[in-house]
Amino acid sequence: MGVPTVPVITSRFQELVTSIAFKRGIPNMRMVYTPHPVTDRLSALCRKYLEGKDPITGEPILEEIVSGLTLPLSAEDKGTGFLPRTPRRRFLEPDTVENLENYFYENNLTDGLPIVLPTEARVTEMLKATSHSPDEVVGRMAASTPHEAWEYTVEMVAVNAVMSGAKPEYFPVILAIASAGATSLVSSTSSYARMAVFNGPIIEELGMNAGIGAMGPFNRANSTIGRCWTLISKNLGGSGTPGETYMGSQGNPLNYGNLCFPEREEGLPAGWDPLHVQKGFNRSESVVSIFGGWSFSDIAWFTPMPVHEVIQGWLEHFFSTTVSGATIIMDPTVAADVSDAGFKTKKSFADYLAENTGTPAWLYWQTRKEELEKAEDGVEPYASYLKLGEKGVIPISRFTENIVIGTPVNPSVNFPRSSTPIEIIVTGGGTNTYWSGSDFHHAVSVSIDKWR
Amino acid sequence: MKIRAGYVTLAVFFAAAFSPVFAQTSSEKVIVMNPRGMKPPIRQIPMAERPATLEGKTIYIVDTRFPRTRKFVEALVETLAERYPETDWILKDKFGGYMDDDPKLWADTKENAHGAIVTVGH
Repeated sequence: MGVPTVPVITSRFQELVTSIAFKRGIPNMRMVYTPHPVTDRLSALCRKYLEGKDPITGEPILEEIVSGLTLPLSAEDKGTGFLPRTPRRRFLEPDTVENLENYFYENNLTDGLPIVLPTEARVTEMLKATSHSPDEVVGRMAASTPHEAWEYTVEMVAVNAVMSGAKPEYFPVILAIASAGATSLVSSTSSYARMAVFNGPIIEELGMNAGIGAMGPFNRANSTIGRCWTLISKNLGGSGTPGETYMGSQGNPLNYGNLCFPEREEGLPAGWDPLHVQKGFNRSESVVSIFGGWSFSDIAWFTPMPVHEVIQGWLEHFFSTTVSGATIIMDPTVAADVSDAGFKTKKSFADYLAENTGTPAWLYWQTRKEELEKAEDGVEPYASYLKLGEKGVIPISRFTENIVIGTPVNPSVNFPRSSTPIEIIVTGGGTNTYWSGSDFHHAVSVSIDKWR
Repeated sequence: MKIRAGYVTLAVFFAAAFSPVFAQTSSEKVIVMNPRGMKPPIRQIPMAERPATLEGKTIYIVDTRFPRTRKFVEALVETLAERYPETDWILKDKFGGYMDDDPKLWADTKENAHGAIVTVGH
């Protein structure tokens, strides 16, 4: 900005802002901290905080702000040039297996589970599964927009693939995911999660599971590819250090495997295109589609009500961090029922859901102050909406646009957006009429074949 | 019988000595590859020169519009104005949500203010 500046931040974010200030080139930025949190606190309490002391430094907050804006700069504060960073070494220091395993845990290089140590021989074997050069840059990844993006090569991705327990034949899939530049550990306090859906011949080639327990821990390809995404995010994408680059307050168990599963293409009703075809790829191509979201519910509703109406009702009252994206993951038996009810394409069902799903009144009015004022002034249709009461449903859909949080940072990837914010995916073993509702939204689909 | 037992012992010994499991003793050192990616270089930005005093100066208090923190920002303006009445404390709303950039406001700050306080979250 070019003028003296003091950021005022709540104390819980000290580690994060110190790290970001360094990465943005202002290592001595004069920060002032207040008690945490300040959201929704009454004015009197905010004043008490501000008239009190900085919980990190112990200095009076107001005086500290003024000092930050007036105290003369040191020679270091005025420094230019490059800040020191430890150069990256290709190999770690030789050590015993036990010490190296401990080194990986203690330096936050794992997901907390045992890893396969990435010896050069194992990495070389992994690299044989792609025609791409080990030195080729695959992409860039950051914990979220304010954080710095790290860059990584084919070899660096192979190191993490070995650690995850993946077989070499899975490597092109892992490279495709890495090429999207989408971290699975977004820094947000909201405990974001990721999902990868596979389509095309790769499903059969790798023996991936799209049948019974498709989303569960029953298949090496499904499991290790998903796990590898988290290792890549931590080790190659500069993400996943709690307090510094990861602030998810409660964390998300989906991050272990990132909901990685193939669509059961042979279970799609006639006329329902596989996801990758919906995203513009040929049916014969192998593709991974990347989603982001937070939560996931597994549902069946054994009543005479048609399943498409049950899904519509669920979606209407579904409430999570997001309010504008959803993915319905259906067992093939449910897909058949929905198709039999007259929805001959996925899009027709998604459009039906978007058009027929209203918004609970309490939720609607909380986010629409302007409309509430109009309603109170008798302006239609808002006045009629208000008459429905707090427990009514306003006939306006929340699912009208596709938002993407944690947008991939790799500029070389084209990001096709969904034509609808509601996605339909079919997977599962057909043992019962279950479906899963989630707030996941499509971010990008990338070719796996490109990385063979 | 004794000869057969001897062969068995020998076979077990060789199997143990040359199998990958036993060949690597717990004290033997191995070399593994670095799983970390490449961090970008960081060019230091020199901090802006400070005035000796804020008396008679204009300071912008920038609300980055983190949800539900407006009361805090207003309290910040009030408490500073009460404590330091010789300084002009002006509340400025940044454009968009808390993640959006606002180059116009930064240009305004550089041109019309002597300093800024930026509130960030949470």
